[in-house]
Amino acid sequence: MTAAVEARTPTPAAATRTPGFVDVLRAEWVKMVSVRSTWWTVATTFLIGAGLTILMCWGNADWLASPEADESPGSFITFGTMFTPILAVIFGALLVTTEYGTRMIHATFAAVPARGKVLTAKALLAGAVMFVVGLVTALVAYAGGNIFFEREGIGIALEGDMLRAVVGGGLALAGMAVFTVAVGFLLRHTAGTISLVLALIMILGNLVNIVPGELGEWLTKLMPGNAVMPVANVVSFNPNLLEPWTGFAVFLAECAAVVAVAWVMLRRRDA
Amino acid sequence: MIRAEALTKRFRDALAVDGLDFTVEPGRVTGFLGPNGAGKSTTMRMILGLDAPTSGRVTVNGHRYATSPAPLREVGALLDAHAIHPGRSARDHLRWLAASNGIPTTRVGEVLELVGLEGVAGRRAGRFSLGMGQRLGIAAALLGDPPVVVLDEPVNGLDPEGIRWVRELARELADEGRTVFISSHLMSEMALMADHLIVIGRGRILADSSMAEFMAQHAASYVRVRTPRLAEARELLVGSGVEVSVEGEELRVSGRGTDAVGELLGGHGLVLHELTQVSASLEEAFMTLTADAVEYHAHSDLTGPAPHAAAGELTGVAS
Repeated sequence: MTAAVEARTPTPAAATRTPGFVDVLRAEWVKMVSVRSTWWTVATTFLIGAGLTILMCWGNADWLASPEADESPGSFITFGTMFTPILAVIFGALLVTTEYGTRMIHATFAAVPARGKVLTAKALLAGAVMFVVGLVTALVAYAGGNIFFEREGIGIALEGDMLRAVVGGGLALAGMAVFTVAVGFLLRHTAGTISLVLALIMILGNLVNIVPGELGEWLTKLMPGNAVMPVANVVSFNPNLLEPWTGFAVFLAECAAVVAVAWVMLRRRDA
Repeated sequence: MIRAEALTKRFRDALAVDGLDFTVEPGRVTGFLGPNGAGKSTTMRMILGLDAPTSGRVTVNGHRYATSPAPLREVGALLDAHAIHPGRSARDHLRWLAASNGIPTTRVGEVLELVGLEGVAGRRAGRFSLGMGQRLGIAAALLGDPPVVVLDEPVNGLDPEGIRWVRELARELADEGRTVFISSHLMSEMALMADHLIVIGRGRILADSSMAEFMAQHAASYVRVRTPRLAEARELLVGSGVEVSVEGEELRVSGRGTDAVGELLGGHGLVLHELTQVSASLEEAFMTLTADAVEYHAHSDLTGPAPHAAAGELTGVAS
């Protein structure tokens, strides 16, 4: 009976190929570029990340070149990374939680019943876009800020730790966005997701410091926000944190754990 | 074709769907009727694999929905017309859906035209009226030109013209040989749209029959007679072999038309104050059928008569 119906129903669409993961990626891409919040978040990330850094370098170049300076130019050239993670978190959260907020997630999972593919596609896109945005932001911040440093004779060459920090600027934002995508699938709520991740990286990350002794030190090093940021900085804002690549590796492991939990829960829970 | 077998869904403390067995056949419009909270939406969500059944199963064309390689080309569904991002245009909403299932983009323009939204396709969906949102939802359901169409409360928020449009569309889809499954809590709407009816209440099936059968069974009609000589009239009618009941100041006669009743009573010189053909509306039949299944009444009747007994009461009144 079914076959007869299908034969009688003219379906031009059915003649085309079976959709795969690339189609899920394309669908998520269309979703991402068709809402304004995406562009606002990307533009704000760039403006704050690059703009604030250049401003700080302009304002402090002469002091940094003077003998009374007790900070290095390297900690100013990535100044914006103190704030850009917030925007990466918002970006990652909105990709996921607006769908739950509007209940559009039902349409998404009806179109793509393999929910893991949706999680993967969103995480990949969030990571890729935020990597590019973070990289460009770090590059422009460096190029702009370094103009003032060079005028004072304290210019930094784009090599070694500086080059690593520029690439790291992309990696850190990509990491935060992916992390938040996973949390978004777990919490399914915009405000909840953004506050939780921000509280984790900005408040709890500093608060664990009060745990006495070595335990407190290690907790501080291992908190996701503290682990991921050194890779984006030439000179770490906090000297007690992990080495850049070590920290990033630790963060990747934590991120993978959260993604894995989100993946499992996504398949088990009702949409 | 959609087939549910002992389909059950238990939420933490409530049995939302309680062992449903039904088949939705292709080539006809099947109405899925029940009061709010009867389990209609939960059932539809299980059809689409959004909720996992606690036990039992539901299949589309013989397999689970989730195993379809391109589900939108097999089942088109409207679950919640307002579940769209308010900042995204109608066209973009359909574009991502099309992309996800490898449906050609040209199809987006086709369905927009089909539902009459081509003029506002670029407008942000948040500015859409209730009816426009509903049309967009139906456009999304038809995007993959699917042989199975599932619509949850599609006429909610539509104006009379829109309601007629949905009715005609459903008819057309069924006539093309597709499986059309439409839920509603409005019997009057279903009466005009459906060929077959599945009525549920509190997660259980109360009726599963063709529309015609359902009407014959539940929408009983009678002749109302008011006369100052009630007892005499009753005796005469009973004597002629028809079913008569007394309801206050009136008689209810079933099995005869107004002509026959009027002639019989007139022939014996009885003065009539009223002689009216009364047809119990389907809406009433539905209300009676589901009265015990309405959530608010769940604990009001401790004896808990079976729903079918409630249906019997209606016939009892008429006979």
